[in-house]
Amino acid sequence: MKKILLPLLFVCLFLVESLFVEYLPDQVFGQNWILVPRFLFSTLIFLTIYTGKKQGILYAAIFGLVFDVVYVEVIGIYLFLFPLICYLVSKIMHLWHDNFMIAFFVTICATTLLELGSFGIQHIIHIANLDFIDFLNLRLFPTLILNAIFLLIFGYPLKRYFEKYAARLSGE
Amino acid sequence: MPQFFSNKRLIILLVSMIVLVALIGFSLRERNRPSWPEQFVKDTTGWVQSLVAKPTHYFAGLFSSLHELENTYQENKELKSRIDKLASLEAEVQTLKKDNQSLRDTLGEKQTLSDNDPLPATVIGRNPDRWTEMLIIDKGNVNGIKKNMAVVTATGLIGKVKSVNQFSSTVELLSAMDPKNRISALIQGKSDVYGFVQGFDEKQKLLLIKSIPAGTTITKGQNVITSGLGGIFPKGLEIGKVVDVKPDQYGLNQTAYVKPGADFYDIQNVIVIKRLMTQPQVSQMSSGKEEDL
Repeated sequence: MKKILLPLLFVCLFLVESLFVEYLPDQVFGQNWILVPRFLFSTLIFLTIYTGKKQGILYAAIFGLVFDVVYVEVIGIYLFLFPLICYLVSKIMHLWHDNFMIAFFVTICATTLLELGSFGIQHIIHIANLDFIDFLNLRLFPTLILNAIFLLIFGYPLKRYFEKYAARLSGE
Repeated sequence: MPQFFSNKRLIILLVSMIVLVALIGFSLRERNRPSWPEQFVKDTTGWVQSLVAKPTHYFAGLFSSLHELENTYQENKELKSRIDKLASLEAEVQTLKKDNQSLRDTLGEKQTLSDNDPLPATVIGRNPDRWTEMLIIDKGNVNGIKKNMAVVTATGLIGKVKSVNQFSSTVELLSAMDPKNRISALIQGKSDVYGFVQGFDEKQKLLLIKSIPAGTTITKGQNVITSGLGGIFPKGLEIGKVVDVKPDQYGLNQTAYVKPGADFYDIQNVIVIKRLMTQPQVSQMSSGKEEDL
């Protein structure tokens, strides 16, 4: 039971993101903001920080691929971006102690990086034609605020859970 | 400062970059159907999503009906005033329908461009990445859905079917910024004007209708429907109302700004429209390159 809890958590987040955009944003916040839930990604970063690089990158690759196939229909974007950013985060976290505020800050930076990366790729393949200033104002800042709120609420329980998971892994 | 990428890592990064480009190229190519592993993954997640979606629809419906309860009195008043007119309207429609039928019989024309076959579907997911606005619905190939079919809600056209799996399919909304999205539209007035729905103004939330000849006059408030001339959509699906008209860059054409009749957010149930009139073959058209709907 304990073994499937972690994949189940990510599957839930995967579904919640889709339900979130289906129901919430545009009635609550007015139609001019593009709020992008990056809950799955934030949790992946927390997994990388608190459990380990190996698990983080593995889950990032799997869920990046599924995300691409199911939602985006362009395979490769998140399959590439999720593990790459998880890898960078694991490298950066070697330098600092894993204090919660630092983990929070690093996750927000990682989300920025992810948005910039996906903006770059979408621009190259001409799916989106949002210019950079609009991208910052309409999309990036609201998204960061949304994800910061998510992390403030769920960050601490996630940290506790992933630390326990890491302890269990090393105990085995 | 530690070294971020050692030689081995650098090679891995470069190889994955090449794989990335190859994969993106693979998935951007014109495809009739997603490959079977993709279909398998999509159908499996689609099944899980439909399990989750139905209870959430129920709860969301419960909340919105509580919300609607507040305005019931006002609405009831207004609806009562409208229902008086309805009876006479119904009688008129009935006679017109009969008239139309008999005239069509004398002409010997059985099918029209507006004949269609509706198929209701439930929305089970939406692309959370928000670059391309896409919905996932719970009907697929086994229910007779084909690529490029029109998708509407009760208030108007919302998009077209982008890809079909066995038990689910993906709908691309009109608000998606896809340059390939092009729908032949008709602006109703004293004389009908034709144009193409081509693009979406993200800030004003308006659809752009381009390629309207410069000489024609279009006024605010005119209705816009699909023309059915593109060969895939039927005629007469509502798109929206004109709010503004501007001349094009070179003054040869006009662009109409249209407020879409349908709400592109908070969509729970949709109807997929199958056109009954035969579709023209690509080879019969002048050049098969452009995909006009």
